[in-house]
Amino acid sequence: MTARTDTTFSVHPDRRLIRPTAHSQRFVLARIAAPRATTERVRPPVNLAIVLDRSGSMSGEKIRVAKVAVEEAIARLRPDDRFSVVAYDDVVDVVIESTPASAEARRGAVERLRTVDARGSTNLGEGWLRGCEQVARHLVERGVNRCLLLTDGLANVGMTDPDQLAGHAAELRARGVSTSTFGVGNDFDERLLQALADAGGGHFYYIADAPQIRDAITSEVGETLEIVARDVDLEITARDDIRIEPISPYPIQARGNRTIVSLGDLGSEQAVEVVLRISFPYGEIGRETGAIVALTDRDGVFGPGGSGGSEPCRLIWAYADDRANDDQPRDADVDRAVGRLFAARARQEAVQRNRNGDYEGARRILDGTARRIRGYAGQDRVLRELIDELREEQVTYAAPMAEPSLKRAHFASANMLRSRDAAGRSVKRS
Amino acid sequence: MPDDERYSLTELADLAGVTPRTVRYYLAQGLLPAVGQMGPGSKYDSGHLARLRLIRRLQAEHLPLAEIRRRLEMLGDDEVRDLVGATEPDPPTDTALEYLRTLGGSFAARADTPQTSRSAPAPSLPSVAERPVAAPMLMRANMSLSEAPVDPGDATVRPSDRSQWERIVLVPDIELHIRRPLARAQNKQVDRLVTIARELLEEDRP
Repeated sequence: MTARTDTTFSVHPDRRLIRPTAHSQRFVLARIAAPRATTERVRPPVNLAIVLDRSGSMSGEKIRVAKVAVEEAIARLRPDDRFSVVAYDDVVDVVIESTPASAEARRGAVERLRTVDARGSTNLGEGWLRGCEQVARHLVERGVNRCLLLTDGLANVGMTDPDQLAGHAAELRARGVSTSTFGVGNDFDERLLQALADAGGGHFYYIADAPQIRDAITSEVGETLEIVARDVDLEITARDDIRIEPISPYPIQARGNRTIVSLGDLGSEQAVEVVLRISFPYGEIGRETGAIVALTDRDGVFGPGGSGGSEPCRLIWAYADDRANDDQPRDADVDRAVGRLFAARARQEAVQRNRNGDYEGARRILDGTARRIRGYAGQDRVLRELIDELREEQVTYAAPMAEPSLKRAHFASANMLRSRDAAGRSVKRS
Repeated sequence: MPDDERYSLTELADLAGVTPRTVRYYLAQGLLPAVGQMGPGSKYDSGHLARLRLIRRLQAEHLPLAEIRRRLEMLGDDEVRDLVGATEPDPPTDTALEYLRTLGGSFAARADTPQTSRSAPAPSLPSVAERPVAAPMLMRANMSLSEAPVDPGDATVRPSDRSQWERIVLVPDIELHIRRPLARAQNKQVDRLVTIARELLEEDRP
């Protein structure tokens, strides 16, 4: 089975030797790129719900731009797609019941959207679930079923517990309905919206100012229309006593000898990098141990015979004495990817600490990460720059930061961890 | 798991944590199914891996090889995978729409009286991450309490504020946990399960 040239799937260990009497940790970089959607391909239909926050704080430009963005999104749909619009404050209204996206329905939607005005408080949980219900009523088995939630506020009415809402997002995802979230301005809870999107198999977008609402919705709807492989999983088979965990925040499951990392849906030519941390047991010098890494997806795109058919990749490590371990070469690309991800994780942690008033804690997190990266950076220019950045940022994080800076920093790190660009868009293979 | 997953002898041995020699011995003893032509190019599949893991587990319980063979002979590949927890989790048995309906509290009541949502939050359901892999009884008997499985996808029973766990001691050291209340049909099934489990466990005890 030959892989198509436009698909990439490769795995790269940072080092190949492990220590016999220490619990060695090694990192593996997996590079994945989805095949290109061919022009003759009939894209799977999409079934969207768009949920708009119309609480008082959305009044003015935010709600106006949001409505324009929804109109533009609907205009891109085909008659075999479906859409619905839900608006919520303390009361939830289905503004447009789920309907096939006929020309007539799309025209009618513009009229109905005009009736949406900002008022009241924020029943985010119920608004979102009503959107999911609109999608669920007409679930398209072969399509992409997704609820887009746009809000500028906190969930302060109804179901408000972030863990509970994220739990529902995961359950709905398991039943075919995914969720993406858009947070506008300073007052939404990015942890809640990030958790909903992560558990819901979709994406989170931070929108600093109202005019950017259109860009964010446009790119999310565009990605939804371009999906070529749904529910992509990275499967790692290894011995029971080898522990495997992703550094990137993807959901993970263990089944017997297999560890499964769920990457979500991938769009045409979308590139994703996943870093895994592998922890080894003790072993005798000379013995080899390995892991097999495979890609699967619901549509069989990455399976044998699929358009992105990819063979499983095999990794081998060997137990060797400390001297050999100390002298072994390192893969600089893997070290850089590992450094970037740990820096992103440290920044996210520092954001939370800074917001909670723990400025010294925020500084220490960044300092500790910079020191750890220095431990393996050697003369690598990229890693040295990263260390310098972390050092400079310590000053910023050691004093109170404004909410937009915190939101921006969280979003930048969140995107880095999920192979997305600064605006939250997926990245195409180069 | 791709069905075409193929391991070399060395890979298979490494993944199962045994030596290649042990694998050859088990093949010769008939504990593992033969793979056509034996040789350096032989390829083994995930069924072999699951069997090897089960053999190791049974050995850890100090079962003699003959007894292990007797048990393995009675099991198909899927059952072996079940026993070592290598199966796919059961897909949810309800649809997204049915799931949303079960949220009860705020969401079920919302159509006519949205205000009720403020005082009646929906019960929390276990997240997917907590969902245990479905496994047959023999496996459950081998698992620690923290892994005691429940199937939250069963449409006839919903976790609610009133539900509670019942512990049934099958034999010393092995318990069955059941979330009550159950439908009548399930109660009968549980009774049968307990009877069968006790018979099985008693006969296998040293």
